[in-house]
This record gives sequence, structure tokens and C-alpha cells, in this order.
Amino acid sequence: MSTALLFARLKLRLVAGNLRGDLARKLGFVFTLLAAIAVAALGFLLMSLLRLAEPAMATDLAILAFTMFWIGWAIVPLLAFGLDDTLDPARLSLFPLRTGRLAVGMFAASATGVWPAATLIITIGALVGLASGIGGVLVGIGAVFLQFALCLVTSRLITTALSGALRSRRGRDALAVAAIFAVLLFQLPNLIANRGLGDPVALITSTAGVLRWTPPGLAAHAIADGGLIGLAELLVLAVLVVLIGWLWIKALAHALVTADASTQSASVRRSSGIVDRFLPDGPLAAVVTKELKYIRRDPRFRVGWFASIVVTGVIAFSITGQSGGGGGLPLVIGPACLGALMLALQSCNAFGIDGRSLWMNTVAFGDERGLRTDLAGRHLAAALIALPLLALMTVAVSLFAGTPSAILPAALTAWGVYGVGLGVASMTSVILPYTVPDRLNAFTGAAPGQGGQAFAGSFAAMIGIAGLSLPLVLPVLFGVAWVSVAALPYGLAVEYFGRRLAATVGHARMPEVLAAVSRPT
Amino acid sequence: MTEAVHTQGLFKRYGQQIAVAGVDLVVPAGSFAGLVGPNGAGKTTTLSMITGLLRPDGGRAVIDGLDVWRDPVQVKARVGVLPEGLRLFERLSGRELLHYNGRLRAIPMAEVEQRTEELLGVMDLREAADKLVVDYSTGMRKKIGLAAALLHNPSVLFLDEPFEGVDPVSANTLTDVLQRFTASGSTVIFSSHVMDLVERLCDWVSVMSAGHIVAQGPLAQVRGDRTLNQAFLDLVGGPKRAGDAGLTWLGANGAAAEESPSAGGER
Repeated sequence: MSTALLFARLKLRLVAGNLRGDLARKLGFVFTLLAAIAVAALGFLLMSLLRLAEPAMATDLAILAFTMFWIGWAIVPLLAFGLDDTLDPARLSLFPLRTGRLAVGMFAASATGVWPAATLIITIGALVGLASGIGGVLVGIGAVFLQFALCLVTSRLITTALSGALRSRRGRDALAVAAIFAVLLFQLPNLIANRGLGDPVALITSTAGVLRWTPPGLAAHAIADGGLIGLAELLVLAVLVVLIGWLWIKALAHALVTADASTQSASVRRSSGIVDRFLPDGPLAAVVTKELKYIRRDPRFRVGWFASIVVTGVIAFSITGQSGGGGGLPLVIGPACLGALMLALQSCNAFGIDGRSLWMNTVAFGDERGLRTDLAGRHLAAALIALPLLALMTVAVSLFAGTPSAILPAALTAWGVYGVGLGVASMTSVILPYTVPDRLNAFTGAAPGQGGQAFAGSFAAMIGIAGLSLPLVLPVLFGVAWVSVAALPYGLAVEYFGRRLAATVGHARMPEVLAAVSRPT
Repeated sequence: MTEAVHTQGLFKRYGQQIAVAGVDLVVPAGSFAGLVGPNGAGKTTTLSMITGLLRPDGGRAVIDGLDVWRDPVQVKARVGVLPEGLRLFERLSGRELLHYNGRLRAIPMAEVEQRTEELLGVMDLREAADKLVVDYSTGMRKKIGLAAALLHNPSVLFLDEPFEGVDPVSANTLTDVLQRFTASGSTVIFSSHVMDLVERLCDWVSVMSAGHIVAQGPLAQVRGDRTLNQAFLDLVGGPKRAGDAGLTWLGANGAAAEESPSAGGER
């Protein structure tokens, strides 16, 4: 018990220590706290409102909710927080602690915090919503705590088992990209519901029928049952919790004595020099080559590009789906231009991903022309990927909407918007630069304290691109399709002048840009 | 004496704190110069301002007779830099990093490739040349960083803590290359707090403390008849004797403490 208390206090101390001095972090914590309280209150209310539904439906909904919590606990800590200090067993390996006590302590530490508390409160809500009679309440209390423990030990088991992989570079790279898939996974039910596939009630009943036999399903059912079957289910659940706990202890013991294998690494292929065949030798070719490699190798690029495509795809899918086909040009132009905007936003902090290594460009370029070449190289590399991608997206959306005639004007307009986007993005890159942390998480794309700058940068870019694109997009949207012929020259012109202006501004404040993108993360 | 580097009243403040309070650094051309000082003395800030990476709040810096902040094109062609913290393009391989660096300075590709292979050979990095820099060890990073700084054949080389965390074998490679470089008449300025190394390598020493240059000149003159380490401690104000109070339990004589019941806590 004293071990549990000690670790719980350690966790609290770490949380408090993180807040010291930094206003942005304090505000962030207050925000998290408010969010957790709101989620807990709302969750508790919704769960207790299950009492108003008919019992069978209420049980099904509770089974779904419990399963969602369980899955959430299994994957969200991996994606959003990585490994924090209390959770990485390697940091504790030098202390004279037996594995069993370490497990108790780490369990206590992971039970301490705002989100665990919120989960517990929401789960207790199910007690109010489902339990009937004294037996139901008694079995229910057991079920609530077993469900809570189940969430925690599962989460611990997964982070501990993967901690070796998570500490290696490849593991973290893979995880960064996996985060996108997880977000997509959570969007899936939404999409299915939007498309009107099947009857929601039937869907819930059939899903719950399957999930009923999963551990969280057992917990939810036990609360509703409240009799001998419920008791038996609790027993099974308890055995499961102990089993997962035991596996976790094994994984912990293993993780503590296993070496970090992250320094073993493979070689990369030598470049084939395709870029050099088309570009004259010099700084421009160097920047394009390097940027193309970065887009391929840096998980932050992969995440950004992939997210843009997914968001565009989801929106295109929803819009064209609702109109029921034959919607014509506007239905294609909208998603295509949105895609161009999203892809251009990837460039709105061009120096951010270079981050602390940007000095290498700074010491090489002594004048505005150097910076102009740098920006041109970045734009060229991005366009080499974005333009074919936009064309592909436009074709897909056009065919999906049943208007193949829209392909050409829509693709041209999207390319024009992308050009405008690059011009605007080069301005925000030099005026509102910020550090992109090595490890992305779901909540922010900027270093601590620069969240505002990141938001302002993206927002300014979005407004700028939208504003400058309107004269182009509006006529096409209203059916004057020939205007799209002017899209490409217009986009190129905006890109050219934006880049020139950005180089002038950027050269004058290069040390400041360098400082802004070199913040510790 | 021609001066490779000359600063006048270089000044930088961060909010309330003055990091560099009017530095007049002088380094003669062709010297192997050491910039020494305790942590927080302002060495990194000074080097960043001289190499054009950080804007000074006052004063000026001159390299080879050219003002760093008024004539950046000329100056940047002449200096090579290895900044603190090993900040490199992590997702390029060692070879790609050198290629990028050379071509960025408009050196023809054929020339860049030839220099790259030679530098990789000298630095003993051939085997790791196709691995990503993110997977390099500290010693390998320092070596690839130095190779990148040398690739365009600068006349003045600025190195911030080049030997920190480097194993003896890699350190030996680094010093060999640097000594060959200065023997040809080029200038090296590096910051360090390893006095033995500075004493062994340098012929010119500048000592910084609390944002000022407190001593500067040929090694023999700064050192006098002391070791450089002693001279340094005298200049920056060595540690105050802690006295014999406290720490009585530390070491073999304090073995009695092992039997005391207070050690260990609950078991």
C-alpha cells in the first residue's frame, strides 16, 4: 500500500513539476483539467441516462461504451503521449525494487491522473444507468472497478510490451504514421452512419451481440444482470485482469533487462539522380533532392501529406455521397480545391521540419537569391508530388460524381490554387515560423509555447490562400469553366511574387527565423 | 600580424540576462585558437554571432577584413561552422549530407563527389556513409559535421565543442585533420573546456568568463609558468574550498553508516 502511495505521489509531483514556471503549460493543464471534468460529467450523465432506455438497448449501449473505453485505453496513450516519465520502466530499473512492487507502483501511478479519474467517473455512471436492486449494485461496483483495472492493465501491458520498440527510432516513426490510421478508425462509424448503411438500431444490436463476450462486454453485462450470471462474469473478468496483470509483470521484467536495439540500422539506397537529369547542377537541384528525400523519409512529412489526402477524401466522399450523383462541376471543384489548399498548407511552415539543422542553409546562403533558390527548391519538390496527386484526386472525384467532363477544368483550377497556396505559404514560412517537434502528438504540431504561432501561421495561410484563390475559383464554380485556363498562369504568378517577397523579408530576419525553428521540444 | 577574426564590443542580452557583455576577440590568421571558459561564459553565443547565426545587440565582427553583418556573401564563403548540439539533417545519409552541403554552395557535382569520398575516407566514415545521420553515434556526428564544414575549403573554421563526447580514436582523427588544415595557413577557432586538449593543440588562447574576454594571447603568454588548467582557474576564479564540513559519510571511511538503521527504508 505504501508503495502505491509513493508512486501516486511521484506521479502527482511530476505533473506539478511539469507546470512550474511555464504559463503556456499551465494554461494547457487548466484546459486539460476542464476538458476532463466536462468529459467526466457529460459521460456520467449520458451513462446514467441509459436508465431511460429500454433495458436490452441500455445493456447493448453500455457494452459498446465499455468496449470503446477499453480500446481507447489500449491505443490512445501510445499515440498521444508516447512514454512519460512514470511509465517508462527503464528509468526505474536502477532502483532496488522487486518486479511485483514495481508493478503495484506503476499501476498506482497510472491510476493517478485526470483521465483515469474521468474514466472511473464515467464507468460509475453505468452503475446508475444499468444496475437494478441491491445485488445489481453490489455486482455493479465490482464490475466497475474490474473494468477500470482492466483498462489500466491492458494499457500498461501494451505500452510496456512495446516500450523497447517505442524507444527505437523506427518504432517511433511507425507509430507516428499509425496515429493517422487510428484517427481514421474512429471516423469510420461516422462515415458509415452518414452513408446510411443499414439500420442504426440493428447495427448496435448486432455489434453488441458480438462484443458481449469480450472482457468489457462481460463487465457491462454483469452490471445489468446483477445475479448469479453476473457474479460468474465478474469471476471470469477478475481472472482476466490478474492474467493480463501477470503478463504485464512478465513484460516489465523482460523490458528491464533487454538492451535497446535502436542503434542497429540499415543503410539507405544511394540516390538514382533522377532530379539531376532534369535540373542543372547547383543549389536548386541540391534542395529539390534533399526535400524529396525528406518527404519520403521523415514521418512528419508522411503524416502531414497522408492526413491532407485523407481529410480531402473523407470530405469528397461525404459531399458527393449526399447529392446522389450527377451534381456537376461545383461538386468536383470544391473537393479538388480543398485538396489543393490542404496540400499547400503542408508548406506553410517550410523551415519548421528542418528545424535545428536550418543553420546549414543559413551559413551557405549569404543573400536573398540564396533564400529564393531554397524556397523554389522546396516548392518544386512539393509540387512534383502534389500536382500528380491533385490530378489523381480530381479524376477520382469526377468519376465518383459521374461528371467526367469536370476533370480538366477542376484539375487546372486545383493546380492554380496550389500555386497560390505555395506563394502564400512561403510568406507565412518566413513571418510566422515555428518548431515542429520530432515526435508529433494528436494535440499540437508545435514546440511548447509556440502553439499560438502555429495556429496563427496555418490560419493566416488559409485566409490568404482562400482570399487570393476566390477570383479564380468563383467563376469556375458558377459555371464559367473557361476561366480555369487562366488558373495555372495565375497560380504561377502568385507563387513567383510570393516567393520573391518572402525571400526579401526572410533574408532580413533569417537569424530570427532560425531561432524560431530551433526551439527545444 | 593579420587578423582572421576581430570583434569589437560584441554584445547580446536575453531579457534581463546579459549573455555576452562586449567581447573583443582577436585571432591571428593561421593560428589554432582555443576559446575556453566555464559553462555559461558566453562562448556559444559569441561564436553564433560571429558566424552570422545570431544577431548581436551591439558591436561588430570582422572576418578576413570583412564585416560579418554587412558583407554576408563574402564572409559565408570563407567560414566553415560546426555549431553546438550536433544539429544536422538527420534524415540524410552521411554521404547525402556532404553532397547537399557542397552543392548548396554551388560547387560542381563532380568536385563535390570527389571531395566527399576523400573526406569520408579521412574521417573513417566510409562504412557508415549510407546510414542515416539520425542513427550515428556522437563521434560519427562530430566527424561528419566537421567534414561538412571543411567541404568548401573555408579559410576560417569555427567549431563549438568539437571534442565533447568523442571517443579517443575519433578525437585523434579530428585533431589530425585540423592540424593539417592549420598547417596550410588556415585558421581554426574552437571552444572547449578540456584544458589539456587546448594546451596540446592550440597556439592561441582566449579565455572567457561571464560574458567577457579575461585573457587573450599566445598560449605561452596566457599560461605563464603554470599549467593552463591552473592559469584558467586563477583567471575565472576557481572553486571556493568547500571545507571538510558535510559529506562525512562519503567514501570507505564512512562504512559505519551502512549498519545504521535509517538507511534503506522499508524492506
